[in-house]
Amino acid sequence: MEKEIETRVVMISPDSTVTPERVRILASELDLDITIKETCFGALIEGAKDEVREAIDAIRKLDENGIFTKVRGFPIGDPRVCRATRSGGPRPGFHQLEAEYRLLPIIRKALDAQSDDKGSIQWRREAKLSAKRLSEIIASSN
Amino acid sequence: MKVLIYPPNSLILADLVERRGHEAIVLMKEVAKKVRDPELDSPPMNITEEDLKRSLKYLSVEEPSGVRGRVGLMIPLLDDAEAAIIVEDPDPSFGCMACDVANDYIEYMIRSKGIPTLIVPYPYTEDAAKVMVQNVTDFLRSLRS
Amino acid sequence: MEDKTRIAQISCGTEYSGVQAKLNEVADRSGIKLIYPEVELEDVADAVSEFGYLAKSPGLNLMIARAKSVVEDPSVTDGIFLLTCFKCAEGSIVKNEVRKYLQQKTDLPVVTYSTVDQVKEGGLMIRFEALKTLVTRKTLLMRTRQEGITMGVDSGSSTTKCVIMKENEIVGTGWVPTTDVIQSARKVMDLALKEAGMKEENIEAVAVTGYGRHTIGDEIKADLVQEELTVNSKGAAYLADRQRGEATVLDIGGMDNKALTLNNAIPDDFTMGGVCAGASGRFLEITARRLGVDISELGKLALQGESRSIQMDSYCSIFGIQSLVSALGEGSSKEDVAAAACRSVAEQVHEQQLQEIDLREPIIEVGGTALIEGLKAAFEEILGFDIIVPPYPQFAGAVGGALIVSAFVK
Repeated sequence: MEKEIETRVVMISPDSTVTPERVRILASELDLDITIKETCFGALIEGAKDEVREAIDAIRKLDENGIFTKVRGFPIGDPRVCRATRSGGPRPGFHQLEAEYRLLPIIRKALDAQSDDKGSIQWRREAKLSAKRLSEIIASSN
Repeated sequence: MKVLIYPPNSLILADLVERRGHEAIVLMKEVAKKVRDPELDSPPMNITEEDLKRSLKYLSVEEPSGVRGRVGLMIPLLDDAEAAIIVEDPDPSFGCMACDVANDYIEYMIRSKGIPTLIVPYPYTEDAAKVMVQNVTDFLRSLRS
Repeated sequence: MEDKTRIAQISCGTEYSGVQAKLNEVADRSGIKLIYPEVELEDVADAVSEFGYLAKSPGLNLMIARAKSVVEDPSVTDGIFLLTCFKCAEGSIVKNEVRKYLQQKTDLPVVTYSTVDQVKEGGLMIRFEALKTLVTRKTLLMRTRQEGITMGVDSGSSTTKCVIMKENEIVGTGWVPTTDVIQSARKVMDLALKEAGMKEENIEAVAVTGYGRHTIGDEIKADLVQEELTVNSKGAAYLADRQRGEATVLDIGGMDNKALTLNNAIPDDFTMGGVCAGASGRFLEITARRLGVDISELGKLALQGESRSIQMDSYCSIFGIQSLVSALGEGSSKEDVAAAACRSVAEQVHEQQLQEIDLREPIIEVGGTALIEGLKAAFEEILGFDIIVPPYPQFAGAVGGALIVSAFVK
């Protein structure tokens, strides 16, 4: 059976001291049969699933709570999602990644703060002001 | 355990699940299967005719094609899921799917499947991020036992 | 491939409807390169707030932002193709408002479409062709006055028409049912020349449109061969004297029906139906025959009748005629039957076609059926709009051709 090929996005939190270049160099020195492409957010890594995972484990160690990763649907350089062949306009999904990239620093803080001993934190979405309360406020302001 | 995340292509959620040693069921894996399938002579960006047909088990043909396509694409993910994490009221740009009607329906499908499901807030603030991360960790630990 | 026309695709749902590959393929065959206007994430919120419509679906907000980026720099594209999913309420609202916004703020041609999963290639092809025409023949289409002596030939699926114009006046017409495409064209040309008292060498330029346009264009060495969407729009707007502003053109043909929406005489959307004879001029023809009157009399007869006095249980032409025949047998008047037939066609066109596009006033009715007064009255009652039937409605395509091609007159 052919090995399952996987492409992964590696994203480095903007507040990390790790650079995309460092990730690329580290991954290339691992002696794995993988393709690495440096990106502005981090890197893309492609190869047999096991080897990609091995590389990811090594890369994460550079900054455990500041490096994030997920599977990517399209292979590296696929023309269907390439900015150049789509004539302007970023590839689908680019904006979403950009938005998540900006959240990484607060996710890092949360990862730093979390502990296995703590249980879940109770939360609820802020309720809207009731009409009754609003009329009370109006009445009291007169 | 196989944990479905929603929005289904979120980097942060997928990463949090994998950090805890679970498998994240994400949309990208479904897309990856299609774009590498040599049987499809013109691989679509995201969906095939099969996805559209599959959605007819849940939706009427009256629904707009984009809604059916999105739902059809999610069905195999949902079938695989043993647990789910949903981000409530996410920012539209967060690992999003662009159709509000499809989003609402898919969320309903997840909630009504009867698997352990965690709802977390969107990390609009640091406190919300803490709730998100802590509760995901706690939820994933509880799945193991 | 630098000579390809650049068309900006501004859409929601095409990839998830499984039609993007088809769009790319048909665009490519039509000599069009689809492009996707650049938008930054932070621009989306600003664009939406400036536009004033916050959609629930992020995909639609992205559409708004893309439209705004084109308005800010229209040089990125030659035209715009707007798409949302068919039957998506929010999508249809956004598409229509974005269309108006783009038409107000830019000179770019806009064509719209509603995506279904089994997208019809013909519908896409004619839109891309129209976009291509609108871009490459922009100056031709800006013409509002006919000059010199020109001829327009419209080779339709059921009839062939010819018009000769001289200095903004129609001086000759010809009309025959289409049999052999070339012979029919020759015949109408002769008829029109005879009426105008001219010879072929007097004609300074010829345009051909309609489904037989390529065959005839080659045969008579026409100066201009152009698809019917743009030509009919131009002809209808010209005849109705509505070359500025918005309008809808309604063309109930012998076999198929078209409804086109116009902005400054330029089409931006259309719907075409024609699978059922019950919704076409053919049904009215059969009715006239059963009533023993000429088709030209049917309309006047209908105006004197009361359509609602006859129960029509089916829109199908076969069953519909049966209803009418049995009504006659039960003592209904010819007038009532004629009125019921007109109403039946109008209702069916309304229910099956007109709800697919956004109707804009005024409605200009063209095609041979526009001469049937009862049909116009039935549409007016159903739609609640006044309908303009211009002079020479059956020659709208030919007139459009003669008008546009006068740009070739030296």
